[in-house]
Amino acid sequence: MPIHPAAHPRPRTLVHPGRAAPVRIHSMESPHARHLRLMLEPGRSLHAALVEPLARRGIAAASTTILGGGFAQLFYCVAPPDPQGRAVIAYSDPIDAGAATMIFGNATIGRGLTGAVLVHCHAVLRTGAGAMAGGHILPERSIVGPAPIPVLVTVIEDFEIRQTHDPETNIALFQPRRRGDD
Amino acid sequence: MTEGVETGRMGRVAYARIAPNEDLVVGVEKLCLERGFRHAFVRGALGSLVDAVLARADGGHQQIAGPAVEIVSLAGEVRTDATGAIAARLTGVVADPEGRVHGGPFVAGANPVCMTFEVTLEEWLPD
Repeated sequence: MPIHPAAHPRPRTLVHPGRAAPVRIHSMESPHARHLRLMLEPGRSLHAALVEPLARRGIAAASTTILGGGFAQLFYCVAPPDPQGRAVIAYSDPIDAGAATMIFGNATIGRGLTGAVLVHCHAVLRTGAGAMAGGHILPERSIVGPAPIPVLVTVIEDFEIRQTHDPETNIALFQPRRRGDD
Repeated sequence: MTEGVETGRMGRVAYARIAPNEDLVVGVEKLCLERGFRHAFVRGALGSLVDAVLARADGGHQQIAGPAVEIVSLAGEVRTDATGAIAARLTGVVADPEGRVHGGPFVAGANPVCMTFEVTLEEWLPD
């Protein structure tokens, strides 16, 4: 007889293409966070509206909460299994949500493999047709609507967030890194 | 604490990447243990789960099959009780592989990370 009855299904363990690293949580900290309130500029891409005002203040690492607002155009992807088998999942083709409302979003800002600033954004949205949906937002293709959208920015100051290739999952993903580390 | 109000201030800020097959809720607790955060608020979080299990009001659960189930909204806090035990309480919205959304509290031990989970925590220092 089990000691604890199964209140929920046992989680599945997925096997990734690469060897599992022994350290499962990579973290870094700063003594304090600095916060900014940023208004996303109408007509700009989500990427430009987030990255450019922060870059002018020397900020290339941040965690942001997008407090919701209208987009003239919003594209997102979902993450079904990778048909090629290179990784466990792969992003789908972009889905056009039309002129949509972003209800809530979180975006991490960090440096990509080439050193350019990248935005990784997931959000829940209401499509132009009125349906609820959610997924991985395409920041370069999504265009802020006619009203500025407020964003709470938690600035990361003492370390970097950098995209690095992860051998276990065989994709490039954001990790915290000391400045100057490869 | 009086009338449900706890005063305090924000302390340190931590950013973490939690690796595949680690539990979302327990992973956030372990991050706090590593960093020595007794109490914390989630400031930002996104990532994917293999499958998601959300608690229902009737005591049951709802399973959302992946992979991957994307975390598209997450709020929550971590608290350490008088016995020293630490617990993360996380609630949020997830999107299934067809983009349909589901929401509720994440059940501890039942939400394994698929590719990555990125989280920013701010330490809460009660007066």
